Amino acid sequence: MNDALSVFVLLSVPGLPLLLAFPALRSRLSRPCHIALLPAVVLLAVPDVVSIDVPWLLLGTGLSIDAASRWLLAMSVVLWAAAATLLQTPTGQPADNCLMACFLLTLAGNLGAILASELVGFFAFSTLMGYGFYGLLVAGGDESARQDGRVYLCFLILADLALFEALLIAAAATDDLGFEAVRHAVARSPSPGLYLSMVLVGYALKTGVWPLHFWLLLAFRSARPAVALLLGGVPIAIGLLGMARWVPVGEISFPDVGLIVQGLGLAAMLYAIVAGLKRAQLKLLPAYAAIIATGLFAIALGTGLADPVAWNRYDNLTQLFIVSLGFGLAGLTTAIRWLEARDHRSAALARQVYNSTPWFERWPGAVVHWAARIGFDTLPRLRTLWLAEMGRLRRARVWKRTLDGSERFLQRWTIAISLFALFGMVVAAFVGASSWIG
Amino acid sequence: MNWNAWLPLLIVLSSLSVGLVIFFLPEERVATRTTLNLAAAVLKLVLVGVMIWGVVHGHHYVTRLPLLPGLDLVLRADAESVLFVTLSSGLWLVTTVYAIGYLEGSPHRSRFFGFFSLCVAATVGVALAGNLMTFLLFYELLTLATYPLIVHRGTDAAHQAGRAYLTYTIAGGALLLVGTVWLYGIAGSLDFSYRGFVAELADGHRAALIAIFALLIAGLAVKAALVPFHGWLPQAMVAPAPVSALLHAVAVVKAGAFGIMRVVSDVYGIEFAAGLGVTLPLATVAAVTIIYGSMRALFQDDLKRRLAFSTVSQVSYIVLGIALTSPIATIGGLVHLVHQGVMKITLFFCAGNLAETLGIHKVSEMNGVGRRMPWTMAAFTIGAFGMIGAPPLAGFISKWYLGLGALDAGQGWVLVILAGSSLLNAGYFLPVVYAAWFKLPADTWPAERSFGRRETAWALLAPPVVTALLTLALGLLASAPFSPLQWVRSITIREYTP
Repeated sequence: MNDALSVFVLLSVPGLPLLLAFPALRSRLSRPCHIALLPAVVLLAVPDVVSIDVPWLLLGTGLSIDAASRWLLAMSVVLWAAAATLLQTPTGQPADNCLMACFLLTLAGNLGAILASELVGFFAFSTLMGYGFYGLLVAGGDESARQDGRVYLCFLILADLALFEALLIAAAATDDLGFEAVRHAVARSPSPGLYLSMVLVGYALKTGVWPLHFWLLLAFRSARPAVALLLGGVPIAIGLLGMARWVPVGEISFPDVGLIVQGLGLAAMLYAIVAGLKRAQLKLLPAYAAIIATGLFAIALGTGLADPVAWNRYDNLTQLFIVSLGFGLAGLTTAIRWLEARDHRSAALARQVYNSTPWFERWPGAVVHWAARIGFDTLPRLRTLWLAEMGRLRRARVWKRTLDGSERFLQRWTIAISLFALFGMVVAAFVGASSWIG
Repeated sequence: MNWNAWLPLLIVLSSLSVGLVIFFLPEERVATRTTLNLAAAVLKLVLVGVMIWGVVHGHHYVTRLPLLPGLDLVLRADAESVLFVTLSSGLWLVTTVYAIGYLEGSPHRSRFFGFFSLCVAATVGVALAGNLMTFLLFYELLTLATYPLIVHRGTDAAHQAGRAYLTYTIAGGALLLVGTVWLYGIAGSLDFSYRGFVAELADGHRAALIAIFALLIAGLAVKAALVPFHGWLPQAMVAPAPVSALLHAVAVVKAGAFGIMRVVSDVYGIEFAAGLGVTLPLATVAAVTIIYGSMRALFQDDLKRRLAFSTVSQVSYIVLGIALTSPIATIGGLVHLVHQGVMKITLFFCAGNLAETLGIHKVSEMNGVGRRMPWTMAAFTIGAFGMIGAPPLAGFISKWYLGLGALDAGQGWVLVILAGSSLLNAGYFLPVVYAAWFKLPADTWPAERSFGRRETAWALLAPPVVTALLTLALGLLASAPFSPLQWVRSITIREYTP
């Protein structure tokens, strides 16, 4: 592919959905979401490694596709096409407009993040994707969906803040913000700990790694089928991809951090198995599957941090894992939604089977019950208490009163300063004029 | 005088003369007034374009008129002044279009547009001032030209806001005057120069220079709305939306922030100011203002008041960038001068549209308004996300350079301030966006006006859409040639290269 064509196709992949997000530009198209995927399909059809530098875009960015990211792009195209098909037929109502705009913005962010070849571009596209996905979760939803969306939004904001700080630390370490260069530079910097912790926390929040997984359960619970289908292949996949691209794993040996990450991964898997079995809500099974998968990824990442050689041996499996996860979760979600839609009795049947277990096999149930209480009762209870406390504070308007009081104080003070200044002006003008004339 | 000496003066006169003519136009001469307004705004923009071309090609534009014995009125085009003059001229054109639509049918339009033009003339004078005395002159003219705009509606609240504005700004002007006179007494010159002109006075005048710096900054801090001198700004939001846009984005607060930049870089010199130990206190005040303004914004239900406190917070980014005395932070501060202007004017235009079209003044009345006014709220959303600093919008570029500059200057605590501020920005902007797009609309709006199939009048809708697209372009195309970022980089290289 020649240079001009490469620039055109690569920029079109995120660019076309971005343009079609404007209602006026898609109003005459019958299937805008499918059309938005066409440049990505064209790019997939080109077997070469394509890479461009776009020095005028943002802070100077680059887009590229290689053999590994081609699989990710292919997964995204399939999932987005399926989701676009599942999405309700537009009726031309404003609510649909909002949903469609969010859909296309998320698509643009998702595809752009896959193609981004440096940190700022990846961050920009993944942020766009995150906020767009929030819109997808809540657009046209009821109060419960909006509440669940708010939780996702809070996690997203905190994640983006942590990643922005990490980005600044990386940029202070190196001028070249390509993934390879940053990993090298951070690995050789005297104190990579802050960068590493910001990246790990940021992407753990975005991906829903245990114990920062609350948004994930809520999102799977309230998302419409088309959106639930995307949960594994969009926010989770891009979060894991970000971790693999940003963390200097394979470059740096951090045995202590590696051990902690491994421990968290293992705990996540155990938690998801135990809690998933206990909750027995069919709709939430993909969420627990996602927690298990991200836990597995955390164990691999922790191993890589502890033993860089081991990571480098299996590095090429990362993207394959993410692709499998995206497809797997989408398949599981689709199957469950289909089962639910076909026969509500299956869930009840599953519970009957569970309840008919003989008493000597029920002892894991006690453990499950105990674990579930910790996982689902304690933390939400704490959250509820905290929210209640915040509500009380809001009602009392303590902060507002304090700030209003300080405002009045400052205003009085400023007027006092003004009077003093007028006096000072006369004196200083006299002194200044004397020294000037003298 | 040759063309190079005339051009800065012509740029000031293009709005000053039109303003004086408009005063005498009868109210019913709508077409003449509109033509004059638009012609002056376009002419000014063309003249500024010529000036930019000249500055890029190494031409020097200086107007020097005798003012007092030993003191000239100097208008000069340098890289900083071109940056500010381009911003104010460009946004003036957009604001003029908006004001024409906004004030359609209201009384006292000749008076309004007369002072409106004077206000911009004063701002351009502030931008082009080549010495502190010229700066002071136009700075005070700006105070006088803005007051009638704030009290334009003639309500009690407007008069109260006007009184507060005058109290604050005249006191600020007095402090600035004292500092200027004192500095002239010591230095014998007030001409701005690259890397300042007071460094050679350090021996024997160190304490006086610190006191003068405090006086000058305190005087400028009033218009820049630094805490505790910010009290006038939230009160002044009772003014009509075009005036708010002018106050918050084009003229007044920008004049204060620009003045602080001039004092730090062209009077004291950044390195000398840092050596004098005056920049860290300034950075601290800016940081306090950033957090305080955001916290106050969080509790405001009145949309314009929320935006006003947001301005208090956001303008301090400019001051913070200058006070950090790192080239990268200076880039962040200066580029935010432009970025904040474009983003904030978008938000005020949208607030004006909501008030004029649906009678919405409060955030609590905005449920579902995105469905009724999608273009306005799309523009508001872009402006709000820009303010939060979300990529790829203009605010992200500013915060990027400020954060990097803080690390470069060894002031890691600024990252905490930036993170806290972003969190608070999200806290007071996202609920507005959320309510507008995702909540169900009320059955009726407080005071709805019909504009046929359009959501509002063209003159009200086009300006926020244009400035929202500009917000997107300033972020997306930040590294393109002739972007404000590239211009600011060249200013900073000159400022820091020995």
